[in-house]
Amino acid sequence: MNHRRCIPALVAVAALGLTACGADPATGARVGSISTAQGWDAVVSAAEGQTVNWYMWGGDPTLNDFVNGYLADRLEPFDITINQVKVSDTAQAIDTMLGERQAGRSTDGSVDLVWVNGENFATGKQADLWACDWAQHLPNAALFDFGDPAVAMDFGVPVDGCEAVWQQANSALVYDSEALDESDVASVTSLIDWAEAHPGRFTYPAPPDFTGSMAVRTLLYDTIGGPDDLTGEFDESAYRDAVPALWDRLNDLEPALWRGGETYPQSQDQVEKMYADGEIDAYFTYGPGAVGDKVAVGVFPDSTREAVLAGGNIANNSFVGIPGNAAHPEAAMVLANLLQDPQTQLALYKAEGTYPGIDLARTDRATRDEFADVPRSPSVLPLERLLADAQPELAGAYVTRIEHDWKSEVLQR
Amino acid sequence: MTGLRAVRPRPVRLTRRRGGVPVALLLAPALTVVVVFFLGGISYAVAQSLGYQPFIGRHELGLAAYRDLAGDPAVRASFILTLRVALLGTAIAAVLGTSLALLVHRLGRGRRWAITMAQANLAVPHLVGALAIGLLLSQTGLIARLAHAAGFVGAPRDFPGLISDQYGIGIVAEYVWKETPFLTLLALNALGRGTAQLGDAARVLGARPWQRLRHVTIPAVLPPLAAGSVLVFAFAVGSYEVPYLLGRPYPATLPVVAYQYHTDVDLTYRAEAMAIAVLITALSVTALLAFLGLLGRIARRPA
Repeated sequence: MNHRRCIPALVAVAALGLTACGADPATGARVGSISTAQGWDAVVSAAEGQTVNWYMWGGDPTLNDFVNGYLADRLEPFDITINQVKVSDTAQAIDTMLGERQAGRSTDGSVDLVWVNGENFATGKQADLWACDWAQHLPNAALFDFGDPAVAMDFGVPVDGCEAVWQQANSALVYDSEALDESDVASVTSLIDWAEAHPGRFTYPAPPDFTGSMAVRTLLYDTIGGPDDLTGEFDESAYRDAVPALWDRLNDLEPALWRGGETYPQSQDQVEKMYADGEIDAYFTYGPGAVGDKVAVGVFPDSTREAVLAGGNIANNSFVGIPGNAAHPEAAMVLANLLQDPQTQLALYKAEGTYPGIDLARTDRATRDEFADVPRSPSVLPLERLLADAQPELAGAYVTRIEHDWKSEVLQR
Repeated sequence: MTGLRAVRPRPVRLTRRRGGVPVALLLAPALTVVVVFFLGGISYAVAQSLGYQPFIGRHELGLAAYRDLAGDPAVRASFILTLRVALLGTAIAAVLGTSLALLVHRLGRGRRWAITMAQANLAVPHLVGALAIGLLLSQTGLIARLAHAAGFVGAPRDFPGLISDQYGIGIVAEYVWKETPFLTLLALNALGRGTAQLGDAARVLGARPWQRLRHVTIPAVLPPLAAGSVLVFAFAVGSYEVPYLLGRPYPATLPVVAYQYHTDVDLTYRAEAMAIAVLITALSVTALLAFLGLLGRIARRPA
């Protein structure tokens, strides 16, 4: 396989990286007891016998089984144990890390690895909580194009090797085809028209919910003709030009929403439960692949389908990060590398339709064929369709500002 | 009532010795826990609310967070909502609890059974209670489905929104469901302590039923009921999971707003989160002081 041959070269790159950074201890490529200059073998042998305390959102039973089954088995040869710490919100993991920082616990921390989203990554960077400059030294780093903004930046914040890509999240609209026609889900405008003709059957969770925030941005992109006006760093005047039309549109939509828009669901979990209960007919999701599983077990109706609205779907990569005070950073790196392994990515795609975070073009032909051969639920969109029109995320500062202003401009109106 | 005066505890002097060891010394381990974890925690919360955030390099102190809160419509709405659900929940639970206690007190055989029911309720966590109330009262809940089956309502949205509603009806319902048995048990306990004899004595002396209620039963029940109500109120003001599960994003109760601030991706908002926590503490302490004042008045009141 291609990436195997790259390992010696990578170790050499790592050695160079360390020489370059060695003078400055603040950015040094030193993670835990060893430096990346000692090579991957040194990381693997230091990791032996360690337990990785992995803080991650625990609301998905299929994913939890994958972590404690497949991943635990794959780590056995390394003599590494996974301790999955389930949190309902990634902010809780950041809170634990911050609490330890405040208490002066600079080593031997209780968090080894965090499945992190862009906003919480930015929070951790603000307080300098992450170990950095390690992700590009993982053997599987060869499967990524670090020049790609989706890999080098996380919601506009430079990744700087402080976190490693795990999954790809492509948004989509989930709908009940018995209630909506394909023409209703062609564009944001047709969806709004449908909602106004069927009041109370559509809603989105109140931002700053991660998915609710995406739903608002999807409408923003549609309103201003794509994200081009808002690329790059936060710009106050560009922001002020862009949002008034969005707030008008969202407020006009309100009477057509669930409960007449006088309130919004608190979380995406609640929205999905409402869809399962038949209380609403459509919702936005960041995890279209998981919908097939829900239809298969009978939680969602068989008539459930997905759509990408005209103008494209917002997509991002999700990452795993290692705190600077992690007690077992070596084992965390081995796990992060395993998460990027093509076979792991394939197994996760098979288990619950999670789209690969790795660049499939950099894998061998056999792997690509295996991905193509995975049977797909008729409810779920094919990967090509989700990738065809994928739109980038805005910088974190825009996202946060939209979430704050949504409260005063929409929720509190 | 003179009976009440007799049960008033005498003031304890910490300097009194027993077997040569000062009581203060004996209390030291417990006091250490209280001082370090309770007062320490509160002091740290106050410091952070004033802007002390060394983890992001902020050391200067000020009242900026409190000024922000005063200008935030979410906090103003939240303050009113929090007071409303806490007061309503406590008042309804207290009235229902007392009535139930008086009823159960008169029961013969069923009394043991009723007390066991009330005690069983104490063991159920609020989280479970909130989920159960949600399953019961939501627009796709059990009651809505029964109403639909009976033909009272058409679509789910025709059923009144009792959960995630503007007034916190679902939240109040959970507090009432959970706290009524607690206050019933407290009132029952008070009724059991010689009240029957006092009532008999009053009757022999010619007291009418309402006079007995006014001068015997209520004075006996009131102090423990008031103490329990303060506990219930303080809990309701500071509870997070119940208003999160049964409430809405806006207006939300103070603890929910505090958590929204606390988990904001911008760490500087932690000052506002801590300021709300301090506000919640102040509300609870005010309730406690009001209770102590009330207790003093009751105890001093001439019979």
